[in-house]
Amino acid sequence: MRAIVIEDDIDIQQQIVTRLKSEGFAVDSADNGDEGLYLMQEFPADVAIVDLGLPRMSGLEVIKRIRERGNKVPILILTARGRWQDKVEGLDAGADDYLVKPFHHEEMMARIRVLIRRASGWSDSRILCAPVTLDTATQRTYVDEREVDLTAFEYKVLEYLMLHAGEVISKSVLTEHLYDDESDNDSNVIEVFIRRLRQKLDPAEDLKPIETLRGRGYRFTLKRVEQH
Amino acid sequence: MKSIKSRLTLVSMVVLVIFMVLTAVALERAVVERALQAEEDGLQLLIYSLLAAVNRDADGLEITVSADRLFEPDLITRNSGLYALLYDRDNREIWRSRSITIGFPAIAPGELGEWQFETTQHLATPYFRLGFALQWPDSNNKLRRYDVVVWRNAVDYFEQLNRFRQTLWAWLIVTTLLLLVVMYLVTRWSLRPLQKIGLEVKAIEDQRQTGFEQQYPSEIAPLTENLNILLKREQYQRQRYRNAMDDLAHSLKTPLAVLTGLGDQLQLEQSQIETLREQTDRMNQIVSYQLQKASSVAEMSISKPVDLIAIIEKLLSALEKVYREKQVRVERSLPATMALRMDEGDCLEIVGNLLDNAFKYGNSRISVLVEMDEMSRSINMVVEDDGEGLEDKEIEQILNRGTRLDEATEGQGIGLAVVADIVDSYSIELGFGRGKLGGLQVSLKFQKS
Repeated sequence: MRAIVIEDDIDIQQQIVTRLKSEGFAVDSADNGDEGLYLMQEFPADVAIVDLGLPRMSGLEVIKRIRERGNKVPILILTARGRWQDKVEGLDAGADDYLVKPFHHEEMMARIRVLIRRASGWSDSRILCAPVTLDTATQRTYVDEREVDLTAFEYKVLEYLMLHAGEVISKSVLTEHLYDDESDNDSNVIEVFIRRLRQKLDPAEDLKPIETLRGRGYRFTLKRVEQH
Repeated sequence: MKSIKSRLTLVSMVVLVIFMVLTAVALERAVVERALQAEEDGLQLLIYSLLAAVNRDADGLEITVSADRLFEPDLITRNSGLYALLYDRDNREIWRSRSITIGFPAIAPGELGEWQFETTQHLATPYFRLGFALQWPDSNNKLRRYDVVVWRNAVDYFEQLNRFRQTLWAWLIVTTLLLLVVMYLVTRWSLRPLQKIGLEVKAIEDQRQTGFEQQYPSEIAPLTENLNILLKREQYQRQRYRNAMDDLAHSLKTPLAVLTGLGDQLQLEQSQIETLREQTDRMNQIVSYQLQKASSVAEMSISKPVDLIAIIEKLLSALEKVYREKQVRVERSLPATMALRMDEGDCLEIVGNLLDNAFKYGNSRISVLVEMDEMSRSINMVVEDDGEGLEDKEIEQILNRGTRLDEATEGQGIGLAVVADIVDSYSIELGFGRGKLGGLQVSLKFQKS
């Protein structure tokens, strides 16, 4: 998952970035509205955390502009004042949720996970493409009732594919959303992880959950099951 | 004498009445004098014509008046009211006009060539009397003195005079009354701006407007303009104070956020983390509460009404976005619009907190109702959810400013405490209960402005 953090207070920004990275996110950050807008336009992200009171360009303006361009990235706004006026303005401008400072990081992470899931059409924290279940809250994976032991990176790959189940995800998109830096961005590594995932999820090779489309990317083929 | 209006009315009334009485007296006197003069002139003329009709015999001792030369028919008509008499120097009557049927007393002879005019009573009847003494030469060319006296009945004259007086006074009284009414109206009209100022001051007091908005005449305009400047300055000061409070609380929020984040990160013992969290949460709670309080502009004057329904819809669409997962069904019972005199931020704060709580604590249904109570001229708003509801004790705790009801849910206590606080400063009635949906029911009663 790739997140963009736009927050002018460096301490808070670093805390958020650290927390996100520890949760396996690839993170870009900016400390002003101008740069934040640039990041959001140039790098596709799965979630953006935007402070409302930013120098150079207000968070509200950043959100408005990004929405004007048709960018649908889920946006979580941070507001210090916490007045409903600010919240409503932010949500009206196109934000999806808000957090009032100060906030606990668990709360922030919970909101971010909800936003990401929601953006791919999932409403529950348990993502189910029978028989594979991904519990995004606990970051555990099950095939039927059997828990599958995945490494952090394997989990990240599977989560991204399952969130976008049914869609074709190119290798470059996958690397973009999973890697922090461009330096170790080697598409061969992705292939390795895909292979390992297939072995772990489908040792008997009868499910075939991940399909390879030559020259286009991968697709998670198992059908989404909504739990409502 | 408390009011300017009654002072002006009283003074103008007294002055007007005095003026009118003096005018009437002067006018009457002028008219009477003029009339008397006219009577005297008329009698003089009569005497001249009488003298012209006098015949004397050869020796000049016998004096007669030839009736055919008298062009005053009243002297010939009996009892006409006009009588003439001629006396010799011994004051013996030597001729009387034919009109005379009663006796007239002789008068004391006057100076030669002098006119003696008087108004007198004779036999209970008013008369004008004019006497004139003259000399005629007899045959010996000796001058003999004669007195001509003319009487004219003055009953008609006095009747006319009385009629004139009555008419004069009647008209004067009518005119005076009319003028009094006009003056009263003029006073009222001139003083209306002051009344308007009074109404505007009341409106400013009631926070229905921020300053004097009406146009005033040039005498009063400087006053209202200066008052407006004063009001603006005062509002500016208050705004500055609020901004200072706001900035203070706001600037405390960032370090608090850092501390909170740190508490989440540090590899501390569980108890230490808890202490850190507890303290930062408490600080946050205090700061939040003060911040909200400082931001509440209830005491500020408000001029623009807000639409409660638009605010509710705005908040509902925002909250439906935030709580999309919960799939809450919102039952609306709302009119198309509902104007409310209130600061928009405060209104958003109250309604936002109530709706947010309903979304947060409700399971799947909430209902929002707004209605106008025509009887008490108030607007009722009721928000309900199908959650657990609150015990009386819990409600009391919440209203006890800033007490946190549920540690796990961010800002709950503060939210309702803020609502209670804003509601207080607007004198809106706030009520809690258990609604038809089974959860908490919060009702607000706004007084319609």
